[in-house]
Amino acid sequence: MTSDILTELGRDLLMGSLSDERLLAKTGQTDTVQILPDATVVKVGGQSFIDRGRAAVFPLVDEIVENLGTHKMIIGTGAGTRARHAYSVGIDLGMPTGVLSVLGTFVSMQNARMLHYLLAKHGVPFIEPAQFPQLPLFLAERHAVVFFGMPPYTFWHKNPTVGRIPPHRTDTGSYLVSEVFGTRNMIYVKDEEGLYTADPKKDKHVTFIPEITVEELIARDLQDVVVERAVLDLMQGATHRRSIQIINGLVPGNLTRALNGEHVGTIIRA
Amino acid sequence: MSDDKRHHLGSMLARESLIDRDLQATTESPVFRMLPFAQVVKVGGRSIMDRGRSAAYPLCETLGEALELHKLILGTGGGARTRHVFSIASDLGMPTGVLAQLAMADALGTAHMLGTLLAPHGVVAIPPEMFGHLLPLFLKSAPGVIYNGVPPYSLWEHPPKVGRIPPHRTDAGCLLLAECFGCKGMIYVKDVDGIYDADPNQVEDATFLPEIHVRELKAMNLDTLPFDRVVLDILENNKLVKQVQVINGLHPERLLAALNGEHVGTLLRAD
Repeated sequence: MTSDILTELGRDLLMGSLSDERLLAKTGQTDTVQILPDATVVKVGGQSFIDRGRAAVFPLVDEIVENLGTHKMIIGTGAGTRARHAYSVGIDLGMPTGVLSVLGTFVSMQNARMLHYLLAKHGVPFIEPAQFPQLPLFLAERHAVVFFGMPPYTFWHKNPTVGRIPPHRTDTGSYLVSEVFGTRNMIYVKDEEGLYTADPKKDKHVTFIPEITVEELIARDLQDVVVERAVLDLMQGATHRRSIQIINGLVPGNLTRALNGEHVGTIIRA
Repeated sequence: MSDDKRHHLGSMLARESLIDRDLQATTESPVFRMLPFAQVVKVGGRSIMDRGRSAAYPLCETLGEALELHKLILGTGGGARTRHVFSIASDLGMPTGVLAQLAMADALGTAHMLGTLLAPHGVVAIPPEMFGHLLPLFLKSAPGVIYNGVPPYSLWEHPPKVGRIPPHRTDAGCLLLAECFGCKGMIYVKDVDGIYDADPNQVEDATFLPEIHVRELKAMNLDTLPFDRVVLDILENNKLVKQVQVINGLHPERLLAALNGEHVGTLLRAD
């Protein structure tokens, strides 16, 4: 089925197997465009941030508003405490990973709605995955949007290798938005300075890691890390988003500095 | 309020990091099967539907017979049109997530065509947005349902390590669905007898593998497979659907046999 209107790649794809690595390599030969190079994805933690309530969230909202004139922000939300409760009950009831993913999406959506209402008077919209085609307009007009961080895999969520908790949660969903749109940066707003050698909430003898490569981090094989492990895997194959920064959003000014490209937390690079 | 100034809800996962390895190991329990009577059948886009009437009509006749006996969830792929849009989109510099978003339309077109041919047998084509939630209802009311097999990864598709083609395509989508709903079986209908050690359409003396374990197949590191490579990883992590069968849909009678649990193609196992 050869045709003049098919490019060479087109002919190869039509005739070849999409499981053939040599053919797959050919599909990566052109550069991808950066769809939204001026925007930054900001993920606001669920358990680590929104669940702290007004004391943590109001100052961060003020800081987001201060930056509306200078930065374009795609703001994703985590799920947090209620997702943990839902996962816990759901696992006991025998729910499959795909259903747990739906439950996590609901909690992440609640957080997105609340953050959205706090930003509503500045004209910032909340968008669901079906509204992402309007994202560029909203960013141009209002400089920010809020979305729920869970990737929309729902019933099609893959099982984890161990246990049943959906492996691709809000850190991953937010990261993938930054990668696919080729945004300028990916910032995770949490309640710790960044990455430590262990969970600083449980272990007093921990060391802060200001900067590390994905390879080093995977080699260290830490029991716990500050972002979902899937983000680290995805960064290794990424075209645009080869670094992420985790910052402590409880410290005023950190978000602004990170938006300006400063190093205020932990930077992980691929 | 607890010491760390966060409002926690009491549960076995409260306060815990979900990334902690020890914690993840505790999140295991028997999984409930939602649709244990249903079988998922993926009808190849390029391998069956793109061949047109000569391949699709006999298969649809057999599917009609099968629908008298079995509850079927049918998925299809986008075939040649998806390959074409991948080539144009790659040339225009579109990232993987956009390719995944574009691929949905082609598979949806194929699903509509297959749905049209199966309409006399009472098969309903369900739009992807409502498919997951309404599946139990439709499957109780109709002998079968059809959807585009594409998993809803779209812009959130994972960039692959090599190239730019979305790794979770329709073979993966159908298997993920079968697993989540705890279906009885997963059958891939292709234009080859099953898995070979090389592509039988290119290599004449390719050896047929009637039965193989995922572990062995991964170790063989074959250049090509008759389904999305990520199917191997998914099958390894599946808890309910631990084997799939790849059959040749150009011999439609094999579909009836496979639905009855007979071994007529390649059995790929992970148990």
